[in-house]
Amino acid sequence: MTTATDTSATAHDDHHHGPEKGLMRWIKTTNHKDIGSLYMWFAFTMLLVGGAFAMGIRAELLQPGLQLMEPQFFNQLTTMHGLIMVFGAIMPAFVGLGNWLIPMMVGAPDMALPRMNNWSFWILPFAGGILLSTFFMEGGAPAFGWTFYAPLSTTFAPDSTDFFIFAVHLLGFSSIMGAINIIATVLNMRAPEMKLMDMPLFVWTWLITSFLLIGAMPVLAGAVTMMLTDRNFGTAFFDATGGGDPVMFQHIFWFFGHPEVYIMILPAFGVVSHIIPTFARKPLFGYSSMVYATASIAFLSYIVWAHHMFLTGMPVAGELYFMYATMLIAVPTGVKVFNWVSTMWRGSMTFEAPMLWAISFVFLFTIGGFSGLMLGIAPADIQYHDTYFVVAHFHYVLVTGALWSIIAATFYWLPKWTGKMYNEKLAKVHFWWAVISVNVLFFPQHFLGLAGMPRRIPDYSLQFADFNFISSIGGFAFGASFILLTYIVIDCIRNGKPASARPWEGAKGLEWTLEPKAQYHSFNTPPSRKLIEAESQNS
Amino acid sequence: MGVFMTEVLVVLVILAIMVALGFGLLGLLKGGKAGSDRMFKSLVIRVSLSIALFLFVMFSGYMGWIQSNIVMLDAPTKQTPVQK
Amino acid sequence: MSKEQAYYVPHGTYWPIIGSIGIAMLFVGFANQMHGVEWGGSVMALGFAITVFMMFGWFGQVVNESISGIYNSQVDRSFRWGMSWFIFSEVMFFAAFFGALFYARQLSVPWLGGADNNIYTPELWNGFKTGWDAVAFTTPGTTLQSGVEMSVPTQLVNTWGLPALNTLLLLLSGVTLTFAHHALRAGHRNQIIGWLVATIALGVAFLGFQIMEYGHAYHDGLKLTSGIYGSTFYLLTGFHGFHVTVGVIMLTVILYRIQKGHFTADNHFGFEGVAWYWHFVDVVWLGLFIFVYWL
Repeated sequence: MTTATDTSATAHDDHHHGPEKGLMRWIKTTNHKDIGSLYMWFAFTMLLVGGAFAMGIRAELLQPGLQLMEPQFFNQLTTMHGLIMVFGAIMPAFVGLGNWLIPMMVGAPDMALPRMNNWSFWILPFAGGILLSTFFMEGGAPAFGWTFYAPLSTTFAPDSTDFFIFAVHLLGFSSIMGAINIIATVLNMRAPEMKLMDMPLFVWTWLITSFLLIGAMPVLAGAVTMMLTDRNFGTAFFDATGGGDPVMFQHIFWFFGHPEVYIMILPAFGVVSHIIPTFARKPLFGYSSMVYATASIAFLSYIVWAHHMFLTGMPVAGELYFMYATMLIAVPTGVKVFNWVSTMWRGSMTFEAPMLWAISFVFLFTIGGFSGLMLGIAPADIQYHDTYFVVAHFHYVLVTGALWSIIAATFYWLPKWTGKMYNEKLAKVHFWWAVISVNVLFFPQHFLGLAGMPRRIPDYSLQFADFNFISSIGGFAFGASFILLTYIVIDCIRNGKPASARPWEGAKGLEWTLEPKAQYHSFNTPPSRKLIEAESQNS
Repeated sequence: MGVFMTEVLVVLVILAIMVALGFGLLGLLKGGKAGSDRMFKSLVIRVSLSIALFLFVMFSGYMGWIQSNIVMLDAPTKQTPVQK
Repeated sequence: MSKEQAYYVPHGTYWPIIGSIGIAMLFVGFANQMHGVEWGGSVMALGFAITVFMMFGWFGQVVNESISGIYNSQVDRSFRWGMSWFIFSEVMFFAAFFGALFYARQLSVPWLGGADNNIYTPELWNGFKTGWDAVAFTTPGTTLQSGVEMSVPTQLVNTWGLPALNTLLLLLSGVTLTFAHHALRAGHRNQIIGWLVATIALGVAFLGFQIMEYGHAYHDGLKLTSGIYGSTFYLLTGFHGFHVTVGVIMLTVILYRIQKGHFTADNHFGFEGVAWYWHFVDVVWLGLFIFVYWL
């Protein structure tokens, strides 16, 4: 390995000390921290946009009957809410975290391919813009759900679907480039003295997630390409008239879709594996089992896709296989939950905001995991399929799972990003506000689903009224909590008290050895073996 | 040779070609003299295997061990029923 | 390229934003073109031009930086990782289309004809037959769900004709490329150019014959609208042809760089990357030839 990474030795000396001034800094930037911030702000904006759609959905569902909108517009809202949240909020937020943290955690000066890093961000606003512009087109935005099953998305879809297809192409392109960059950074830019099993878990989980991205996103690109030709060039991939099969779409989509859900949760596992040891003031329990569990989850995620399709007509042998394979995923996931709990066991715990978010992650994500197991049981799924139980399940894993970890990570690393401390009191208020309202929002949806309320409908039978009312109230409260979150973050950036280089006393990791506000280029000289060992989670 | 055996053989050789190509990629990844050697060797193997496979497929088709998927048809009426 | 040098971190670049604008214009223009909007085509062409300009500009800058020697061996390895995983994503992209081919041929088409336990098919649709050759279930006048009338082929592609010849051409291009590779590694620069020109010529010939074959097929009524057979046939060969085109352009750039005296016997990542890409495209074709035309 090359050891010298001292950028100040080059002739380009003067360009490397700090950021440029003005707007062009953000457009031209090749710095991993700038790009990480861009990603995070983009994701946050999209979170608010997607959240606004969710408010519309919950407002319509507040009472039975059609209150506010046409069913078609309601369907547009659910579709775009899903797409924006998945591709615009959660995924970019994790790439943003990866950008900010991975070079610092592996002791690198920057990402491996800085120019490409810029491109993988700067495609996103264009893709997001194209996606959102479909609302203003004739026939409205796509209204077939975020899974865009054929023939809803081919035969019966508005013209704007073609724009949606290209937006997905662009988003996929961005994700693949981001993933390639992270792989190259982790495997090539790591400090020469850092072994693979010295790497922090966030780095490990992101590395494995990158492989999932590179394996899954091109398949999605293939699926939407076939949709495009079916819609515009008379092919018959998903049309039985010509010998194709709409179910084939589902197979291809979920071959992407299932790894995709792990793309959104593995980095979350990484984040939580940093925060819990810090505030339990104990080393992470079972570091290597965490790594192996992550890898097995990633592998299994490729071979369970048809558990989303139990009701589409599948040979019984197929249903059995996909059911048992799905159950298998519970094992490595269980290992992880066990390890987090064991890390806290007899730790001297304190409950600062990041820890609160992390503990509630473990608790609430596990609820979502268990309802996932219930859905994975083929005979039981006949009852649950396409009901609000599914909605409750994936919101527990995606909101109180993925989003929770992103918020936890934001509070945990905000001092390192800004050099300042957020308002702990307000952060705690915000936490309790959010964690109570999110359960009021989603927990009743389990009951709605078990009682048979179908998902993606603007109106419902009277017996569902009470739980929907409660859920909507929780939804508005949860939505409002983000106003407070915005205030806390901006207040921290503007008026926060200066933070020390290691604001959390139990924190381990190379990023805490940097200046309080991490310098523009993280490690110009790679950290020593001694430092790496001292900061390793694997000890 | 039976149809099945021929098909199995063809698929196996394709897999072998993909493995050789994969080793070439690993060589490309590794870089340097050793990587370059490895890449070159794997690619030579993959080229040789590909040509051998092509000749074998054409020969099998000629011998009637496997049938070309696409039969020349004069008109849509001449159908080969596949129904069971 | 001394090993003591620092990792080169470029400061600021305009290429990505140019690329984003180009590619967004390309797609927005294309979508509007398909919907019959007047300006669609021109926006698409402009977007394409901007994208090409960006690629030449960006890669040109990287090549210049590489020659000026500011890249150390670690930067070189980053490019290797990047290229390798980019190609892997291409593999998965093709896998989606091959998956569609296998699924349709092994499962959905036989099911339509009543295979497995689908005993009602012959009852409900007396005399309905399916077969992979596309003609079987394409009765004249059938309209797809998209409203397009299906095209009934009068003849299908003859495996022994152009497809076999094309396979041979592409495999030979793999051989000539290997000779070029060998010549480069052995330091015989004048030989490289000959072998590279041969490789490019074979690639261009392949593309020419492919266009001819499309012409024949189209003339005989085998179109994109010929049901699942036509769909998989054109999409697989079409995307492959697109990749061959890209490969030919990349090989031409490499030829140009060789003539300019770039690359050494020990250090020629640009060549290796493109060579591997070409071998990959070659193997995809071999898989296509065997799975689409034979097995």
